[in-house]
Amino acid sequence: MWPVNLWVGLARVISHKEIKYCHMPENNKSIAVKVNDFNFLFKPEDLKGLNIVQHSPSEYNLIKDNRSVNARLLDSDHTGKLLRVEVDGELFEVEIKDDLDQMLDKMGFGKASIKQIKEIKAPMPGLVLEINVTEGDEVAEGHKILILEAMKMENAILIHTNAKIKKVIVIAGQAVEKGQVLVELE
Amino acid sequence: MKKILVANRGEIALRIMRTIKRMGIASVAVYSEADRSSPHVLFADEAVCLGPAQSSQSYLNGDKIIDFCKQLGVDGIHPGYGFLSENADFAQKVTDAGILFIGPGPEAMRIMGSKLAAKECVKTYNIPMVPGIDQAIEDVTIAKEIANKIGYPILIKASAGGGGKGMRIVHKDSDLEEQMQRAISEAKSSFGDGSVFVEKYVSSPRHVEIQVLADNYGNTVHLFERECSIQRRHQKVVEESPSSVLTPELRKKMGDAAVMVAKSCKYTSTGTVEFLMDEKLNFYFLEMNTRLQVEHPVTEMITGIDLVEEQIKIARGEKLGFTQEDLKINGHAVELRVYAEDPLNKFLPSIGTLTTYIKPEGEGVRVDDGYEEGMAIPIYYDPMIAKLATHGKTRIEAIQKMKQAIKDYKIEGLSTTLPFGTFVFEHDAFLSGHFDTHFVQDYYTPELIIDKQKSNAEIAALVGLSYWMEKGKMINPVDNKSTSWKRRLAH
Repeated sequence: MWPVNLWVGLARVISHKEIKYCHMPENNKSIAVKVNDFNFLFKPEDLKGLNIVQHSPSEYNLIKDNRSVNARLLDSDHTGKLLRVEVDGELFEVEIKDDLDQMLDKMGFGKASIKQIKEIKAPMPGLVLEINVTEGDEVAEGHKILILEAMKMENAILIHTNAKIKKVIVIAGQAVEKGQVLVELE
Repeated sequence: MKKILVANRGEIALRIMRTIKRMGIASVAVYSEADRSSPHVLFADEAVCLGPAQSSQSYLNGDKIIDFCKQLGVDGIHPGYGFLSENADFAQKVTDAGILFIGPGPEAMRIMGSKLAAKECVKTYNIPMVPGIDQAIEDVTIAKEIANKIGYPILIKASAGGGGKGMRIVHKDSDLEEQMQRAISEAKSSFGDGSVFVEKYVSSPRHVEIQVLADNYGNTVHLFERECSIQRRHQKVVEESPSSVLTPELRKKMGDAAVMVAKSCKYTSTGTVEFLMDEKLNFYFLEMNTRLQVEHPVTEMITGIDLVEEQIKIARGEKLGFTQEDLKINGHAVELRVYAEDPLNKFLPSIGTLTTYIKPEGEGVRVDDGYEEGMAIPIYYDPMIAKLATHGKTRIEAIQKMKQAIKDYKIEGLSTTLPFGTFVFEHDAFLSGHFDTHFVQDYYTPELIIDKQKSNAEIAALVGLSYWMEKGKMINPVDNKSTSWKRRLAH
């Protein structure tokens, strides 16, 4: 954790001033930033023209496309690359990825292969009310696999591809968690 | 009354106990094994465990609740909403056990609890009704005949239903059988009664309901309307009072009709008479809810009357302390139900743990909730986390307060209807007052929320980058040209 007292002291010095950066990304390289489920890629020129002021140790105001937006920096780790920022009441987890991080990510992504649908998972926690398939069934797209009851609502779980049922993992009456595999497909 | 047991959980149990405490009465909480650390248990003077998490083995176990009442010397039971609140047999057993049931009498509940019996009861009072069949059916062929007679789309409803459960809209003949089976099965599992009926589906209706209050001496008043047209899956999510389309004349007409419905079944305590309203402002009697409604806070905010307090006073035999003429609308109130649901994924339940939970505060801001930070939302019950209500001198003031309150409400760990609320309260159709129960279907797509989140996320990214780069500047001594001793210290 970045020492808060220290940061407050430092921030006071620059408070109410426009922020000017000495360190811009080198060689015109882009910086990737992951915010919750969104991914952004910023070029150095995107950052140079930024109209942002810091008016208290944790409070920022940014004018973008004429919109005046207030943001608060809630927390950050010691690297300054993992932060929590509040914008317009919404909370965001911000992860800044420099060259090295991006390279590691790419290597990570390289391992992932394109996945076929091999199983049907519970889209929400609930109770399995009835199961409408057995092992070996060949089912067409749109076929009802089972009925899941959650919050007293019955939800038909349909299959979105043509497939053969390899194995039925759950039984009627069973409580399942979100993401739990219900049925395996061949 | 010296001691009241609240046969419910979550926000409503807590809300009821707050009034009980204010009236100097002792409160008894009941809880399931999943709710041991819930705020309603912590708040109560006494608490008893009913059993395992499943409601059928805990909050619906009326006999066990009555046994505990006898053991603990309880004088009255408040059922809240949901669970046993509209169960006439339970109310009867409570009364037979010599305990006061804080709600209407079993007979009124029985009549109004069956939508069919209710239609029969109010028939003679010349109250407008929706075309349909006035008896329960299970036979699909009969249902098809009726459907063809009144014309599609039709609505299948559970006679014992409520809260959108056991309710299905059918647009064409070929869907009727499957939908009817689902409705019957849902009605059986939710209400223990599989009878359903069919009526014409009034397209684009508004849902406007009237709050009534009746004592044991024939005094019945209404506390104006609640506009509840903003719904998803037939369940209300945003409510307000007063409605922006009612004129004083129409308000009086509907209020009088509601009072008549209440009188038709000799109703006592608080109740709500629901009406459908078409685009020409014709209204039709839909049903009467024989309980305290989820959305009662908006009525309390504009009338200054604590409905739970009135229920308790009526139950212990007091006369209403005011007449219809004494009641005035003061300002405007809006409410958002904060559900653990993902508005970006078809409003499906989003279950998890409240890793961050900070409530909004302020003048005219009311939060009725039953959770605290760190608590998990159990899968066994309704996924409502809280009700957020705001009051202002005018409608726009109430809405502005609501938008700020939504911003101030910090919930992390699961998805909620808060961003959907912002969408509603910023939408032109809502602001103009010209909307109906198809609001979600007509105007809402998840992309609208996602676009807004993305633009805010980009701001968050830029602020994060600013901080990171500024930090780099300060830490790197080569680049630090500052002579400030404070900055030097930082190295």
